[in-house]
Amino acid sequence: MSQVVASTSLSKRYGTVYCVKDVNLSVCEGEIYGFLGPNGAGKSTTLKMILGLVQPTDGQVTVFGKELAAHRRLILSQIGSLIESPSYYGHLSGLENMRVVQKLRNVPDRNVSEALKIVRLTQQKDKKVAQYSLGMKQRLGIAMALLAFPKLLILDEPTNGLDPAGIGEIRELIKSLPQRYGMTVLLSSHLLAEIEQIATTVGIIHEGRLKFQGRMDVLKNNNRPTISIRTRNNILAEKVLMSEGFSSCHRGDSLVFENLTDELVAQANRSLITANIDVLRIEEHKKSLESIFLDMTGKERSL
Amino acid sequence: MMNAVRLEWYKLRRKRLLGMITLLLLVELAWAFMATSVSISRNPEHAGWESLIATVSSMNGLFLPILTAICVSRICDMEHKGNTWKLLRTVMVSPGQLYAAKFMTASIMGLWGCIFQVFSIFVFGMLNDFNPAVPVVLLTRFLLGTMITTLAIITLQLWISVAVKNQAFALSLGMIGGFIGLTADLLPSGLRRLLVWSYYSGLSPIAQSYESEQMSFAVRDIGTLLPVMALLAVVGAALYLAGNIYVSKREL
Repeated sequence: MSQVVASTSLSKRYGTVYCVKDVNLSVCEGEIYGFLGPNGAGKSTTLKMILGLVQPTDGQVTVFGKELAAHRRLILSQIGSLIESPSYYGHLSGLENMRVVQKLRNVPDRNVSEALKIVRLTQQKDKKVAQYSLGMKQRLGIAMALLAFPKLLILDEPTNGLDPAGIGEIRELIKSLPQRYGMTVLLSSHLLAEIEQIATTVGIIHEGRLKFQGRMDVLKNNNRPTISIRTRNNILAEKVLMSEGFSSCHRGDSLVFENLTDELVAQANRSLITANIDVLRIEEHKKSLESIFLDMTGKERSL
Repeated sequence: MMNAVRLEWYKLRRKRLLGMITLLLLVELAWAFMATSVSISRNPEHAGWESLIATVSSMNGLFLPILTAICVSRICDMEHKGNTWKLLRTVMVSPGQLYAAKFMTASIMGLWGCIFQVFSIFVFGMLNDFNPAVPVVLLTRFLLGTMITTLAIITLQLWISVAVKNQAFALSLGMIGGFIGLTADLLPSGLRRLLVWSYYSGLSPIAQSYESEQMSFAVRDIGTLLPVMALLAVVGAALYLAGNIYVSKREL
């Protein structure tokens, strides 16, 4: 698959603080790339640099194999985007807002009706946008981004302000875009569950640095289980097991082991019984995606 | 470029800006015509185009800076309110092109205001049997001076309205401009030259003077006004350029 978006050492500094530092993003054709990170991690700034709204301090961006700085107009003609909050003219109707973008994009009328239909705004198209709910404004923003049916769709927190039903609808819509229209989607979110359900590839950013980038299934496979063993005498149990080559750490009132096969678990159990130590519990703990995310981004930070 | 200007007008739908301009100018002109009528009834020798043009020029100093500030502010505020600067930038509208389209839209509004004034002055003069019947040169010079001053003010207001999201700032500047425009003739000439709002009376084809408790009007020499007009045009171009550079370099 060819790379649609690639960045090399992309950095942005405001004053003395880097809010994006050495980000090497790689989005391939046909992917739904989920850009995940806590609030203030640098997601929007990175997307803005990809769109040329913010000038990078260092590094470069190539989109469709062309350098953004040199081919901005050509590149933007193939991108649809919704960055941060939706953009709209409140005194105009939904349809008139679409017409503004239509005139700029130079696309036929059928695209307007198709995009409005996709986001289910056909019935409300003649209403002034100022009277729309936040969710409707968000859907209008997505319709504007879809208007030219671009090759690359960049959506920054697209489900903000939507109710659960709306979130489900937008999720299904985004998932269908690569197959229905051959689009590549790059979307950001601070919601892990959202990215988990939509994205095929994920990039995790924290404090401006890309902590992980790869297929979602690879991330899930990183999720190795741990075995915790609780005994009547954990100190003695640890000594016995250490002498047999096991290494563990204390977590609560249990000993925790990583990378243990079933055979090794059985062997550890046998050793403890032989040493006359009562084994109270042997439990397997699988790390959820959320704990992996929290490990990468720091547990003290909210999602 | 014309497409960009047409799009600006499309975006201004339902804002009723031309109606608002006309209404405010009607108030100004009604005031100016009443003042001129009172002056004529007290001093019949003032019954002429000169006193009428001088009065309107002087009142323009108060009204047009405020009107310009309102129009430019409305043109820019819709982008601030709807967060559409980003949208426009990402759909291939260059910042320079957008800035030029907004300037041209405001200029067309300004031109409409000036033409409406000239037409109204002409009608009032005709109704009062002023001589000569049609003072083409005087009215053209009035139109030119008013338009050049308005364009210079538009460039300043546009820069401020684009740069500062809170439009109260731009509107306050317009009101300060209106005050300066009204009192310009009372300011020292050195200071007056520095203030762009003072040129409504400064570039008026008629000079007013008050001597021996008598108001008198004299037609200004075009030769002295042309360099001032040229200088104001250069100042306007510099302000436009500064605003354009600001918009092009601004990060969104």
